[in-house]
Amino acid sequence: MKVFLAALFFAAIVAVGMSVLLNTIQQPSSVAFTTSGARVGDPGNNLIGPS
Amino acid sequence: MPSLHSTLKASIARALCAAFALLFVLAQPAAAQLSFKPTAESVREDQLLNALRAGDKITGRISIPDAMAASLIQPAGREWRDFQRTMLPVIGGAAIIGMFAVLLIFLMVRGRIRIYHGFAGTTILRFASFERFTHWLTASCFIVLALSGLNISFGRILILPLFGAETFATLSAYAKLAHNYLAFPFMLGLVIMFLIWGKDNIPGKLDLEWFRQGGGILFKGRYPPSRRFNAGQKGIFWIVILGGTLMSLSGWFLLFPYLPANVTTLQLLSVLHAVIAMLLIAIMMAHIYIGSIGMEGAFDAMGTGEVDLNWAKEHHSLWVKEEQAKRLARSGSRPPRAMPAE
Repeated sequence: MKVFLAALFFAAIVAVGMSVLLNTIQQPSSVAFTTSGARVGDPGNNLIGPS
Repeated sequence: MPSLHSTLKASIARALCAAFALLFVLAQPAAAQLSFKPTAESVREDQLLNALRAGDKITGRISIPDAMAASLIQPAGREWRDFQRTMLPVIGGAAIIGMFAVLLIFLMVRGRIRIYHGFAGTTILRFASFERFTHWLTASCFIVLALSGLNISFGRILILPLFGAETFATLSAYAKLAHNYLAFPFMLGLVIMFLIWGKDNIPGKLDLEWFRQGGGILFKGRYPPSRRFNAGQKGIFWIVILGGTLMSLSGWFLLFPYLPANVTTLQLLSVLHAVIAMLLIAIMMAHIYIGSIGMEGAFDAMGTGEVDLNWAKEHHSLWVKEEQAKRLARSGSRPPRAMPAE
């Protein structure tokens, strides 16, 4: 039982850790796809914008 | 006023240019993309229509870094949508419901596989803590990934009518997050499993004999010799490793959809991901069955790590002999430690 619970706990830790890491390093598309030649405007709080 | 000669030369040049342009367009391979530069030539509607009928993708010229935005119309998307709505439910239904039916029939006909000689009352260590930890890490992630994945494919048809739109939306939002992030511990579990168990799962001649004798599950009282992992377990191992790797690779591109070259590749990857998922889920149902209710004494291997000695001798006789020989060698002449079963 202890091993099973430890595995569940570890899975949750890795999952949460990855979510924090990915949210830190990834950019919203309005930032990632903006270049000097094309500016993608801030879409605001909608389906594709940041919440 | 231009001479007839120069007029004729200009006409021939224009005709040759037009013919060359047409040849360039027609000579493209069947799955070509038709790309029209708006400044060089006008869009010809009949050419667009013919391209769409032939299944070609229509693309434009874009200046933003997202190359996939160049796709304007992709007729292959229709086939993908149709597959998701028609063939995939058939594959999923046949695999999962079919496997459930097979297991039910097997249980009714063969019954629970008992320890032929009964419980010995002593146990032998089968899996150490770290092995069980790895198994449960991968297995628990798999269960959540499977259920959340099935929700993505079939939730709207099966779950939404049961719980209503609000509950289904909330459930699906959290399920999607769980699916995305639990993929990482699942992949970690796969890698560790491969490293710790790969060497014991190499197929050999003994495995053929195991299959010939019905694997110790088809016929009562008949137990083919087996080392640490029998042929059935080796099959499950490689299916998990290979299937899991394919799921991980296809899933990686679905997690980071700007990585594939184009949307057609994304669609192919999603088809691969869905089909392998259905097959993996069906196979894991059989694994869960035999490891729980299907075979007496089997669950202890992953539960406590200690299995009944008679169970071990019946299903992994060669492994028991190896383990007992190792213990004897380690302890000298002292007899093996007898551990009473709890």
